[in-house]
Formats: sequence, structure tokens, C-alpha cells
Amino acid sequence: MRNPSIVIGLIMLAVMVAVALAGPAFLESTLFAGERPGMRGSYRPYQLDSAEHPIGTDGDGRDGLMVFISSIWPSLQIGVIAGATSTGLGVVIGFLAGYARGRLDTLSRILIDMVLVIPTLPLLLMLAAYIERWDLYKLSLILGLFGWSFVARVIRPQVQSLRERSYVDLAVLSGENALEIIFLELLPPLLPYIGYVFSLSIVGSMLAEAGLQIIGLGAGGLPTLGFMIAKGFRESVIAVGLIGQMALPAGALIYVFLALNLINTGLDEVFNPRLKTTVEGK
Amino acid sequence: MTAKIEARAGESAAEGRDAGRREVLQYALRRFGVYLFTLWAAITVAFFVFRLVPGDPMNILLGNLTRAEGRQRDKAAEEALIAHYREIFGMDDPLPLQYVNYLRKAVLGGLDLGPSFVEYPAQTKDLVFRRMPWTIGIFTTSVLLAWLVGTVLGALIGWLQRSRLSQLAVVISTLLQITPVYLVALGLIIYVGYTWRILPAGGPYARHLQPEWTWEFISSLLTHAILPMLSNMIVIGAGFTLGMRALMISVLGEDYLTFARAKGLSPFTVLKDYAFRNALIPQVTALAIIVGATLNGTFIIEVLFQLPGLGTLFVQAMGLRDFNTMQAVVLFSIFAVLTLTLIVDLALPLLDPRIRRTA
Repeated sequence: MRNPSIVIGLIMLAVMVAVALAGPAFLESTLFAGERPGMRGSYRPYQLDSAEHPIGTDGDGRDGLMVFISSIWPSLQIGVIAGATSTGLGVVIGFLAGYARGRLDTLSRILIDMVLVIPTLPLLLMLAAYIERWDLYKLSLILGLFGWSFVARVIRPQVQSLRERSYVDLAVLSGENALEIIFLELLPPLLPYIGYVFSLSIVGSMLAEAGLQIIGLGAGGLPTLGFMIAKGFRESVIAVGLIGQMALPAGALIYVFLALNLINTGLDEVFNPRLKTTVEGK
Repeated sequence: MTAKIEARAGESAAEGRDAGRREVLQYALRRFGVYLFTLWAAITVAFFVFRLVPGDPMNILLGNLTRAEGRQRDKAAEEALIAHYREIFGMDDPLPLQYVNYLRKAVLGGLDLGPSFVEYPAQTKDLVFRRMPWTIGIFTTSVLLAWLVGTVLGALIGWLQRSRLSQLAVVISTLLQITPVYLVALGLIIYVGYTWRILPAGGPYARHLQPEWTWEFISSLLTHAILPMLSNMIVIGAGFTLGMRALMISVLGEDYLTFARAKGLSPFTVLKDYAFRNALIPQVTALAIIVGATLNGTFIIEVLFQLPGLGTLFVQAMGLRDFNTMQAVVLFSIFAVLTLTLIVDLALPLLDPRIRRTA
């Protein structure tokens, strides 16, 4: 773990998590002591930037900075829960598909490819139409359920390539059963790659969530960064002069993506580069 | 497969040519079979996802209406409505029968996907066909342009890998690549469209115009298309640039490049005929992989730029819980993604000189 990209990325991410967790309480005790900055109607709406309200107030009469800071944590949560769901599912399916041989292997490849090409956005929107009460966990799980095919698609060839190594043959000869081979021989060398895929899945989930919010069909009312951007766009806060209320959440999203991207680059370098090229060559 | 074909190169020319041709034909046929199967399977999955989700769309719609109107529910009328609705859509039949009916109508009934709610009683099929050119137009043009620009830029950056300029280009493309498409679109709408007022940022063409073959209309159409396409292009293009750069750098390490330079070929010939060509094939494969994800982005872009494409249609249909239209949009997006992927996959052996030599 001496890889500089991973270290920088992790530090960036840690800073964001710290801001997300401690930020709201910190703001309430310092800048807004004795006030309720996150309550609707606490202030006059659409106030311009001032010492009291660094990025102004929003259309509901809340402090913009407070709304921004408290939106970060839900966004991160959605990313992590959805990312973990899709990575978990994808790794299991990818391993099964990669370990199977013959007809089962062909079948699983077709299945994965099939789910991979189904455009997820309309299906997500579709589900959004059915679910009346959204909460963070429902949204995350559903996002996760749609992301596994990508994970399975990239994990499968890795497992296939590892399966052919002579040390796996040795394990088979020494009498290990399929589960032992999967968990003791195949999984450990793939861990950095799974970390890489997990991080990609987090990015994908956060991206999808914010996208849903921005076209106005997301889990309305969930205070995420995407929701703040969407609300800012609908209320044309930039025309009013409140640039920060869109630039900050947008910037925060890009910042998180950049941090995860750095971690990815690092994990990619840690992971055997030769295996990586075989995946991309497919 | 390429390896097999290469191995054949040593055999007699005529025999090799025949075998190669057969091999390419076999590949195409097999690929087409997989395409048909995937299409069927994807439609099936989509169908059951739609049906198995709990909750009745009609109930939700009526519930929302009652809440919005604030009137008391007329239970009897409501139930009659729901019953009528369920009958129209054949929802009282058992699920397998619904599925068979659906497939039969879609395949044998000339793509009969039922009437729409959005523009009742217009056929869902007609709605989709009317909207599809917008989506496909914006989507394919921007992806292809992004691919062209990205491939050329990436090849150059990879070729000049040690210069300051190319390092800067890598940083910029990485930043652009991780930025979500819709944020780029929002930025362009807000700044280029409204604040600086350089280009129109909403609608398919100027409001006072009618679709016709006049220069005024076409130019309006084109200027309105610039920003939506640009948003797609910036993000996808950055991805292609980085991908091509990586491919280029790995090709540059190969021995045959050193040999080509040692032969005294001009740097441009080495770049064009030796490095670029070999990096190109995986880059075309990347084109096929990106298609699905880009369609999602295009849907969002349509909504943001108020273009009358499939994405906007879907959002309208969703507002009305228009079951048929939503399903049709999903169906056609699956069809579009699969077909575009198929085209790229089939074009691949044509691009690969190792296959073309024998075929």
C-alpha cells in the first residue's frame, strides 16, 4: 500500500468523509449557534452570499452551506451501499461463471452480456414509478441490483485466467475442493482487482443517483448532492447569483470521483498488470 | 480466432482464402445468432421486471390524482376504471399467457405494442418511431465524433508521451472523463446558453419554425444540436483519448516499432502504419462496450435540453404511468444498443488486416 495514488486518494476521501460527518454539527455550533440553519423557513429565501451565509440561502429559506454539508453523507452512503451490493453480487456471479466450464460457461457469458446491454436508466426510472416511498436504503439496493453485470463481466475473465495457472492445478491435485480453491487460491490474488471494481461501482452508483435526481425522477426529498444540484437548476439559482449552491455540490461530486479515480489507478498498478491487459484485449 | 487464421497463412493461398472466408462467415452467423438470442432474452427479462414489481400502476395514478384534486374517492367508479384498464392491458390473464401475447403481438403483429396513454389513442409504436431519430441522431453522431477526436488525440498524446503538453492533456482528459455528463450539460446550459447567450440551450429548434427543408430551419436545428452533442462528446471523447493513449503506449513498446524506425521509415509513417493501426482494433471494441452506458447519458441530456427524443418520451410516460410507452422505450433502447453493438462487432474482422488478408 505504498502506492502514492492510493494514499492521496484515500486522504482525499477521508477528508470528505470527515467533512460529511462532522460538518453539520460543527456548523451548528459555530456559525449558526442557537439557530436552525437546516430548517425550512429559518431565513429569508434566496439571500446572496454574506458573512452569515457564505453561499447564501436556498429557496426554502435554509442556509445553503448547511444544506450542502449535510447532503454529502447521504450521497456517500448511497454510493457505498449500492457499490457493495453490485460488487458482492457481481463477484459471486463472476466467480461462478468463471469457474464453470463447458455449456454452463457459455450460458453464463450470454446471461452476463445480456444483462449488461439492458439499458439500466429506463428500468431504474420504471422502478421509481412504482415505489411510492423512497428511502436511502431502497434506492441504494436497487442501484446495486442494476450494477452487478458489469462487475461479473470483468471478474469472469480474471477468474478464468487464474484458473488455468499451474498453482491451481497443484491445489486440485492436492485434493482441495471447489470452495477451497475459490476462497483460498482464486480470491486472494484478485482482491486488489475487486477493490478496483468496488471503487468503480461506487462511482457508477453515485453517478446514477445524481443523474436520476437531475432529470427530476429520483428519490424526491432525499437530501443528496444530486438533489441539491437538481433543485438549484430548477430554481435557477445561478441567475439569482447564488453560484455556490450549484458549484459546491457539483465540485464535491467531482472531488469524490477524482479521489476514487486515484485509488483506482493505484489499485490497478498494484494488481498484476499483465492480467489487466488480457481483460482489455477481450 | 485470429490466431487460427494467422496459422493458416502458411498454407496454400487459395485454400487459405476459402478457409478464411468460411471462418469470417461462421463468425458473422454465430454473432448474429447470439444477437437474436440476446434480444429475445433481454426483452423477456425486461417484460418480467415490469410485471413482477409490486404495486399496480393504475392504483398509484388514481391515488395521486385523488390527492392532487383533494376530492373524495368514488370507490365504485375507481374500481370500474381499474378493471377496464386491466382488461385493456390484458393484466388479468396469467403471467405466461400475457408474455406469449406480448411477444406474439410484438413480433407477428408488426411491432404492435398497444395504445399509449401519453397521446391516446396513438400507437406506442408510432410515438417511439417519431422520437427515435432524435435520440439515435444525437447519440450516434456524438459518440462517433467523440471516438474520432479521442482516437486521434489519444494517438498523438501517446506518441508524444514525454512532452509537457501531452502530460497536461492527460490531466485534463482525466478530469473531464470523471465529470458526469449531466454536470457538463448543466454547465454548458447555464453558461453558454443563458449567461453568455452564445448558443441556444433548449428545445430542438427555434420556436417559431416548422420542420421543413429550408436553410433557416436546418441551421436552427444544427445550432440547437451543438450543446447537447458537445456535452456527450466532451466526456466520452476524454475517455476515448485516455484509452487510445494507453493502447498507443503499449504498442510503442513493441519490437516491430523499433525495427520500423531502424529501417529508416519516417516518423509519420511509423505512427500511421505501424503504431496507430495496431492500437486501433481494441479501440473499436471499446466503442461497442460504451454504447449502453452512453445511451443512459443521452436520455438525461435530452431531458435537460428539452429535446423530443426517447428519454423525454419516457419521462412524460412516467408522469402518467403510461405502462405501454415505458415498456416500448425500454424495448427500443435494448434493440438499439444490441444492434449498434452487433454492427461494431461485425465491422471488427473487416478492420483487422490479419483477417482481411486471408478473407
